[in-house]
Amino acid sequence: MAQQEFIIERYNPDTDESYEESFNVDVQPGQTVLDSLNAIKWDQDGTLSFRMSCRHAICGSCAMKVNGQSMLSCQTQVDAAAERGDPIRVGPQGNQNVIKDLVVDVNKFLNQFERAETWLEPYEDQEPPEREYRQKVEEFDHWSHASTCIHCGACYSDCTVAAVDENFLGPAALAKAYRFVMDSRDSKREERLQFLSEEQGGIWDCTRCYMCVQACPKDVLPMDAIMELRTLAIEAGHVNNHGVRHHKGFMSGVRKRGRLDEMMLPVQSVGIGRLLTGNLAAHKEMMDYTPGAIRLLKSRKLLTIAQRHGANADGREQIERIFEEVEAEKHHHDVDAEAFGAEFETAIGGH
Amino acid sequence: MSKYAFWPGCVAQGAAPELYTSTLAVAEHLGMDLVELEAAACTGAGIISDGEPYLQDVLNARTMAMAEQMDLPLMDICSTCVGVHRLAAEKLRDVDYRIRINHHLAPEGIEYRGSVDPRHLLWIVLEDVGIDKINSKITRPLEELNLGPFYGCYLVRPERTLEFDAHPTRRDSLEQLIEILGATTVTYDGMTKCCGFPILTMNKQNSLTMAGTHLDEAQSKGADALVTPCPLCHLNLDAQQPDAAKVIDRNLNLPILHVPQLLGLAMGLAPEKLGLTRHVVDTNRLLNKIGV
Repeated sequence: MAQQEFIIERYNPDTDESYEESFNVDVQPGQTVLDSLNAIKWDQDGTLSFRMSCRHAICGSCAMKVNGQSMLSCQTQVDAAAERGDPIRVGPQGNQNVIKDLVVDVNKFLNQFERAETWLEPYEDQEPPEREYRQKVEEFDHWSHASTCIHCGACYSDCTVAAVDENFLGPAALAKAYRFVMDSRDSKREERLQFLSEEQGGIWDCTRCYMCVQACPKDVLPMDAIMELRTLAIEAGHVNNHGVRHHKGFMSGVRKRGRLDEMMLPVQSVGIGRLLTGNLAAHKEMMDYTPGAIRLLKSRKLLTIAQRHGANADGREQIERIFEEVEAEKHHHDVDAEAFGAEFETAIGGH
Repeated sequence: MSKYAFWPGCVAQGAAPELYTSTLAVAEHLGMDLVELEAAACTGAGIISDGEPYLQDVLNARTMAMAEQMDLPLMDICSTCVGVHRLAAEKLRDVDYRIRINHHLAPEGIEYRGSVDPRHLLWIVLEDVGIDKINSKITRPLEELNLGPFYGCYLVRPERTLEFDAHPTRRDSLEQLIEILGATTVTYDGMTKCCGFPILTMNKQNSLTMAGTHLDEAQSKGADALVTPCPLCHLNLDAQQPDAAKVIDRNLNLPILHVPQLLGLAMGLAPEKLGLTRHVVDTNRLLNKIGV
């Protein structure tokens, strides 16, 4: 039996006092961080507060920060968390208000699911089936990863956008929304994609930082779901936003020169069409970029295409050809998908 | 002489030309032979894949096929490029997917066989060049400097793709480099977080709040400068620093160095040669501190 030091970030709401407290715990091989918290509570300080229930990584209650990263404390062994004999630092989840010690107010996190209406909306004009609503195994396979969420909040706790923006829907709710967008039994696919594209704090506010993918104890891959939602939203025609203009502008630079054209990108993201039609908000956005551009000029970072090394890729015609081929293949695929869709609709009776 | 297929990435050829020149200077000094992939395309940076994931994979398969054809390891100098290349390499281990993608490379007479292991200059310096060789080249140990690492998301996540289990030293590669060069590491919460650059044109407020928060945290913990392997982070942390300071309402004055600039300084190369004059946040105070 070995001793392990735990440093716990505590908060006492009665005195509004935040402090760190150190505890030494005797640990056995295989002992988890949660076991250790229980040992502290039972033997050393009964006032230590934390959430827990199943102890089998399925209820999602005991997610907290261990050495700065959110994880399920019942799934994390002391041996794995202890680095070179250093103390293990345990703190509450991030991006949410602390109620007491390791207990946070999860309402902000859970409210995002309600905002995204993440429940099944069946086809109303369809007779309910005699037994359950069914779908094909292949269909389920495509989004099954997103169905394994246990709402532990680890992804939301580590999300870099939620850290600066309360309005962001967050990885878990977006992954859940994806799950219903992909579900062939759901009737609101189009409305969902529109909402997720246009809502402030929707899919285009994600930074692609992979924090959620790393934090998730169930391999939900929330960020991958968000990225797929972007592709689906563009395909569904929800293109009038900065994110899509940024994507399209980026593509056009690479198609033309094989390189990103970062000088044109801000203009393209604001939208050349918006600027030409005298959209005031668009012109204000453009003005906001001016000081930055002047700074780049002053520090001799803004080079003309002619001054730049490697401004154009050799073999640009090959890159252009690839763009054309992929476009043609996609069109071909769309035709196939339409045919499949028609067949599918016949099979399920008219949807 | 160790030879590499070298992909500079668009920003090193655009708004961060000092990254390109400092890389060449340092590579020459370390005896690395870089064969530049001049016909390769932008990795897509995860932005092409927003709507066209398949196209992004084709472009990256093409780049990797070029390195493979030369039988050289692939070197990137941008965290984002490494991350996107590695994600593509991971997907292209699937033989059926590779066959489909290779149809688009066949007209050019190339094929991707799935063997490329894309790496960052930072990893290559530690894994191939090695600590002994770096030590032998240090003429100006950076003992006076307190440096904060700023990794860029794709050099720390997802761990699966970066193969941290097989290469545990990659977890703290920047701290290792800082210590080898004689400086002291300043650790802070933001060092592995997002700089905000990917959403600069979508949500400037959020983007600059991220950059400002990390800069302020590192500065208040005593960092003289940050060092980053990612030129996109550099753009948000350096070029946008005055705006980020306004957004978070703090005074910020923290120079941001590229990895090869830091190496070059410790190896005695001239600041002009490393492009240290091409920064938005002035680097003079930092250079004075090490007596340059």
